[in-house]
Amino acid sequence: MKNQYQRFVLTRAGQAVVVVLLAYVLTFLVISVLPGDSITNSLRDPQRGLSEEEIQRIVAFYGLDKPVVVQLVLSLGRFLSGDLGFSLQSNLPVAQLIGDALPSTLALASSALALAVIFAVAIAYGAHYLPGKWASLLRSVPSLFLSVPNFVIGLVLIELFAFRLHAFTTIDTNSAAATVFAAVTLAIPVSAPLAEVFIASLDHESRQEYAVVARSRGLSEARLFVQHLAKPSALPAVAMVALIVGELLGGAVITETIFGRDGIGTLVQKAVTGEDQPVLQAVVSLSAIVFVAVNLVADLASPLVDPRIELREVVDA
Amino acid sequence: MPEQKNAPLLDVEDLSVAYGPNDVVRDVRFSIARGESLALIGESGSGKSTIAKSILKLLGTDDAEVTGNVWFEGRELLGMPERQFRPLRGRRLGYIPQDPGSALNPVRTIGSQAQEAAALLGETNPDARRSHILSVLADVGLADPVRVYDSYPHQLSGGMLQRVLIGLTVLPRPALIVADEPTSALDVTVQKLTLDLLADLRQELDISLLLITHDLAIAAERADTLVVLRDGTVQETGAAREVFKAPRSEYARSLYSDVPALNPDRYRSQRLLPDNRRRESTANPPRIEMQGVEKSFTTAGKRVLALDGVSFSVSPGTTHALVGESGSGKTTAARLLLGLEQPSAGEIRVNGDPLQGRRRSELRDVRRHLQLVYQNPFTSLDPTWRVSRIVGEPLDRFGVGGNRSRRAAQVREALEAVGLPESFLARRPAHLSGGQRQRVAIARALVLHPDIVVLDEPTSALDVSVQAGILELLARLQRERGLTYLFVSHDLALVRQIADTVSVLQHGKVVEDGPVQRIFEQPQHAYTRALLAAIPRVTASETPTTTIPALSEATL
Repeated sequence: MKNQYQRFVLTRAGQAVVVVLLAYVLTFLVISVLPGDSITNSLRDPQRGLSEEEIQRIVAFYGLDKPVVVQLVLSLGRFLSGDLGFSLQSNLPVAQLIGDALPSTLALASSALALAVIFAVAIAYGAHYLPGKWASLLRSVPSLFLSVPNFVIGLVLIELFAFRLHAFTTIDTNSAAATVFAAVTLAIPVSAPLAEVFIASLDHESRQEYAVVARSRGLSEARLFVQHLAKPSALPAVAMVALIVGELLGGAVITETIFGRDGIGTLVQKAVTGEDQPVLQAVVSLSAIVFVAVNLVADLASPLVDPRIELREVVDA
Repeated sequence: MPEQKNAPLLDVEDLSVAYGPNDVVRDVRFSIARGESLALIGESGSGKSTIAKSILKLLGTDDAEVTGNVWFEGRELLGMPERQFRPLRGRRLGYIPQDPGSALNPVRTIGSQAQEAAALLGETNPDARRSHILSVLADVGLADPVRVYDSYPHQLSGGMLQRVLIGLTVLPRPALIVADEPTSALDVTVQKLTLDLLADLRQELDISLLLITHDLAIAAERADTLVVLRDGTVQETGAAREVFKAPRSEYARSLYSDVPALNPDRYRSQRLLPDNRRRESTANPPRIEMQGVEKSFTTAGKRVLALDGVSFSVSPGTTHALVGESGSGKTTAARLLLGLEQPSAGEIRVNGDPLQGRRRSELRDVRRHLQLVYQNPFTSLDPTWRVSRIVGEPLDRFGVGGNRSRRAAQVREALEAVGLPESFLARRPAHLSGGQRQRVAIARALVLHPDIVVLDEPTSALDVSVQAGILELLARLQRERGLTYLFVSHDLALVRQIADTVSVLQHGKVVEDGPVQRIFEQPQHAYTRALLAAIPRVTASETPTTTIPALSEATL
């Protein structure tokens, strides 16, 4: 068992590295086939006032005069050695730009994730145990959450809580109160699929014979939920959390823009408008790493959480 | 109703259960005295499980309308609020479910679930609970209680799980145990051991039993009183011996005659071949021959022999049964014969020709004469197809049967042969009962006019009365068409009714084979004897009209 688990970890970790590398290559190719030579375009922007000589130096430094495949290999080599290059817009190291923006986004995303899980559990529990009318009302909440775009939620929250109730100000956008409301905005659409999965698996598990048997022994409904149903119905939801991280990253871009927060989202937005290739390449690769890492953790955890998962090659029975 | 000394422990009065306009249980009444065991017998849809769940208040839906009275230890249960009823759950009223495989939480250890059951009894010290649990696990015959305690449910066999569940149910010493088909998911030998255990514990702890079962033989063997149910109403109630000896209701009589264990010779006359045909049959070379067949699988790096030197042969027009419990290799043998898998060693001949080393096209030709009827008719028919297409498919697949209209005629003929009217051609499986589905599956096998039909537990998913109809059909088809059957089953009583020769398989080996009569009357191997002993014991004095000397002798 121990050895099998080690082998499982190594295989999955290897696969994760391959996925990250592929994501890097794919990003690089997509950016390079985009119409126009984005780098030289932005370098030759008259507003930047670079002399032809300086431009040639930069082009030579990045190997931009070489074929795409060679550029890819060079760029990948720098990426692997930890060198993310310099922003074309600000001339600052990309690593520094990301380092400045990351903490704010991490705070937003992780509090949003925590809120989304709390919302989902509350909705699912209520949908299951409240009396009929309230339960069916709660069951329609996830589709409501899904159908309202997250910028609308954000604007409503700002209008209501910042302008009318003065619960937070839109000036100090990184204050704790502002972060909470930004996190709520981001959490609401993200919690919807989570709640749906949780409701469905709770329905399924509570119909299982073992739940009936546990009830026949005199367990109260609350203890039945905590001791028997919560864990097995959480297993599919945990897998879902890993997928949702992607949505969190995407949603963070919009939420940061609405709330005027500095973060990865605003960094990406500026990089796209300014065709800042090194920044884009680094952020996309970073997102890929985060996404793959979270899924890797979920994968590695599942055999530890669910004893029924056996690690062995598929055999014909 | 104040509790009197002679008042029954459980008294069910005019119990009715309805789902909207459909009433599934109507005016059912029966009572159980202290220490008594009562069996509710009925086929699927008879309402027996609904009655059990109503008494336990486990119906679990708000849309079931339950009326009537259920008195238990002098208190009325149906009108009792859940808060008052909960202390009775487990402590006074125990429940043993049907399928032990799904009755325990799959992601928690046996020990933690047992701890929870024990904690409900008020013992606060976990170590005291643990030793109590371990002693109960030992009481129910589990050899290594500590290992069981630390195991997850999927690491134990069905029989062990059912022992765990029985242990957890008797742990609080309830006054009444409701057991809903407690052994129908278990192998026959395990079934007997489990029922024996339950009987011993009941005696020792003075627990009453409400047994829900579809099996008349088990009910007669294990219960003091029988209540026969059909379509939610009581057909007959009485002392088990009385109901068994002289069933008064017509339904109980027909149920009786459909139980294989009680009627070993039921199909004998229908299956007997005319003398000339029988001579012909034994003179001809065997239809099926297996010689030293081996089949191995690799599981988790280990090589497992699913079949180990299996040999048997089947004469034309006869039925050979492969008997064994789960894991015995009987299904693997059938799959090899059908060419679905290749043997690791040994030889299989069909009509004298070896199956190995043949080209694909030649194998196809062999398969035309070899058809399969699968165990579960609820999953073996495509739900989106109409019966005409299901039955006609083999003709299209093999490109035989001539033009469209001739094929349609053959489909009609096959359907007629299995006793279904032509109007069924346009139906889809959802509109057929289990028995009708299995008839369609048999028609599909017959449409190619095969020589050999492999029957893989063809009736195990069906009620006994439906099973009797299918067996009758199979016997008639064999006589009319001279079919050769390979009959795969775990049910020895059934095999005795339908087979001519038997191979008893255990762990992939044939432990005993021979004519069915000899196997039943003079079993040589201990395993065969154990299988025979697992057939519910019915002594000759208790049987009504027909005597079954051979069977009672074998089960003594």
